Amino acid sequence: MGHIETRGLTRTFGDVRAVDGVDLVVRPGGLTGFVGGNGAGKTTTMRMVMGVLRPDAGEVLWDDRPMTAADRQQFGYMPEERGLYPKQKIADQLSYFGRLSGMPAAAARGSVAEHLERFGLTDRANDRVETLSLGNQQRVQIIAALLHEPTALVLDEPFSGLDPAAVDAMADILRDRAASGVPVLFSSHQLDLVERLCDRLVVLARGRVVAQGSVESLRAGGPTRYRIVTEGDAGWVRDVRGIHVHDVDGSTALLELLTDGADQALLREAVARGAVREFTKVVPPLSEVYREVTA
Amino acid sequence: MTTTRQPERSIEPRAPIDSPQPGEPGHTTPLRHPWALVARREIATKLVDRTFLLGTFVTIAIIAGFVLIQAVMVQRGNDYRLVSTSSDVAMARSVAERATGLDDAVRVTVQDVPDEAGARDALEQETADAWLVSGDDGWRIVGQDEVSSDLEAVATTVVREETIEANAQAAGTTVEVLTRGAVLETEVLVGDLEQRDFAAAMGFALAFLFYLASVGFGAALAGSVVEEKESRIVEIIATKIPVRQLLAGKVAGNTALAVLQMALYGVIGVVGLSFTSYGALLPTVTGALGWFLVFFLVGFLVIACLWAVAGALASRNEDLQSTSMPITMVLLGIFFGSLFLDGTAQTVFSYVPPASAVLMPLRVLDGSAAWWEPFVSLAILLVAAGLVVLVAERLYRRSLLQTQGRISMRQAWSAPE
Repeated sequence: MGHIETRGLTRTFGDVRAVDGVDLVVRPGGLTGFVGGNGAGKTTTMRMVMGVLRPDAGEVLWDDRPMTAADRQQFGYMPEERGLYPKQKIADQLSYFGRLSGMPAAAARGSVAEHLERFGLTDRANDRVETLSLGNQQRVQIIAALLHEPTALVLDEPFSGLDPAAVDAMADILRDRAASGVPVLFSSHQLDLVERLCDRLVVLARGRVVAQGSVESLRAGGPTRYRIVTEGDAGWVRDVRGIHVHDVDGSTALLELLTDGADQALLREAVARGAVREFTKVVPPLSEVYREVTA
Repeated sequence: MTTTRQPERSIEPRAPIDSPQPGEPGHTTPLRHPWALVARREIATKLVDRTFLLGTFVTIAIIAGFVLIQAVMVQRGNDYRLVSTSSDVAMARSVAERATGLDDAVRVTVQDVPDEAGARDALEQETADAWLVSGDDGWRIVGQDEVSSDLEAVATTVVREETIEANAQAAGTTVEVLTRGAVLETEVLVGDLEQRDFAAAMGFALAFLFYLASVGFGAALAGSVVEEKESRIVEIIATKIPVRQLLAGKVAGNTALAVLQMALYGVIGVVGLSFTSYGALLPTVTGALGWFLVFFLVGFLVIACLWAVAGALASRNEDLQSTSMPITMVLLGIFFGSLFLDGTAQTVFSYVPPASAVLMPLRVLDGSAAWWEPFVSLAILLVAAGLVVLVAERLYRRSLLQTQGRISMRQAWSAPE
């Protein structure tokens, strides 16, 4: 099964180094989320992966060998700002995209009919794209990326502009494709969504990869904190040695352990002062990890 | 015991369309001629485009209408009723007899009335169109409020000849003797005057058609390039096929449509003209028409490439007017050049692409080009076309994915891919 890999991918526009030595891996069978702020270099990286832009340095690999135009022809790609021919009939232009991907005419028509049905657009097959609602145009756009059974998916902000129901539908489609063994790379700036959907994450900041790995490992790599809930006011924890207190809110305190065994000392003190309602390890949310690595 | 091995393919279950087989896309094959696919889409979308169809039908209607008017003018004869008193009726009969021989559009019938009052009456009642009457020093033709010029011309000739004939006889001689040597004929050394006028009109019509098609199809081509750029479709297409193939397909599709459209207009025009009095002149221009088609084909190819570049240099439809300005100027130049250039200038420009696309077939049409000249000019045009395609391809490829505003030709040339 194929996987996408980039090595030292670099691209400069004028004086701005938009992408700076990006190494990333998109494995088959899972969703890889590509996150980063505006101008972090996500779109430029994806364009280089798809061969639309030529890298100044570095290379893009498919299955450990340089990716070719023939490989990319079989990929499904959704550019950042979407494009369809506004005045052409939906079924006609989808068939055209299928044929550009190398499908014979009959297979392209069959696949278009099947996908239109799956997306509930069968009765709009002969309408022009410009008569569709934005949500439906987005559906047609994703069909254009899917209909030739792509060997990989590279999607730039596939969730932007979708209503919650459409977001769920799109998420199902992507999970479905990933489950069938296709590597899927998609960019998003909605961290909650990425956290919910992705198996792996690549975080980009100022053109560089600042974190990469499974969502769990990224979160585990962050600072481990503990929460303690006592019966009375928890202000006394500030005096316990070997811990760093982040926050005290009435009977709840959020803290970090600085020395081994500090947790036991803390608990002994707490029990001596009264009942302990809760003592838990707190894994930071992705957004916090993100803030930390991109800071 | 022998066992036959099943071919491996047949025991593989055929993948239903909804179960993706990533990595082994069984139902896709590398495209051999992606440009043909693009060209087909260009043609198909154009053929269902209402504006395009309407424009074509209107042009056909104009051509057909023009030809029809020419044909009707030939077919329709003018019938005149000439009235005369008994004393003058012999002359009126002569006019009637010889009228059609002098002008095949004029037919005259004669009405005989007893006196002048009857003749005036006939004019007033509109039972006659004119009254032929003799006076002391000649003849008059009288109408109620006008006398048709073709009837007047026929009557003038007949009256003059009949009178001279009578006078000659009275003088004891004949008209032949009197008019011997008194003939002036107009001749030209090269070609035939009527044929030359016809060729000039034809040349104007064809140059105009070329201008119309270049601007019409060219602007539409540039517009569709911008549309793909503006909507970022081009980004998807660029991951599927080489940009060069996209350019080739768009140019080929639009060139084919333009040439077919011009051929359609040409056929309708020629077939129509064959029913008119110009029909006899048509065989003199068919060779030139063939050259027009060949030169237009190559010329349009060049111009279509330039239009595609104009489209690629723009980022939005609004930019198109300024990026396509140089081409519109060149096309206008060619059109006016085809009208006003003559002599050496015409000869020179009939070798300079892309003006040669119109000027050389024009020279073939008016007979001023030697047989080898169109071949040389066509060869130069073909070389130029090849160069333009190469340059256009680079400019197109490099500016296509730049979407920030208008791009200058120099920026596009040196832009990284």
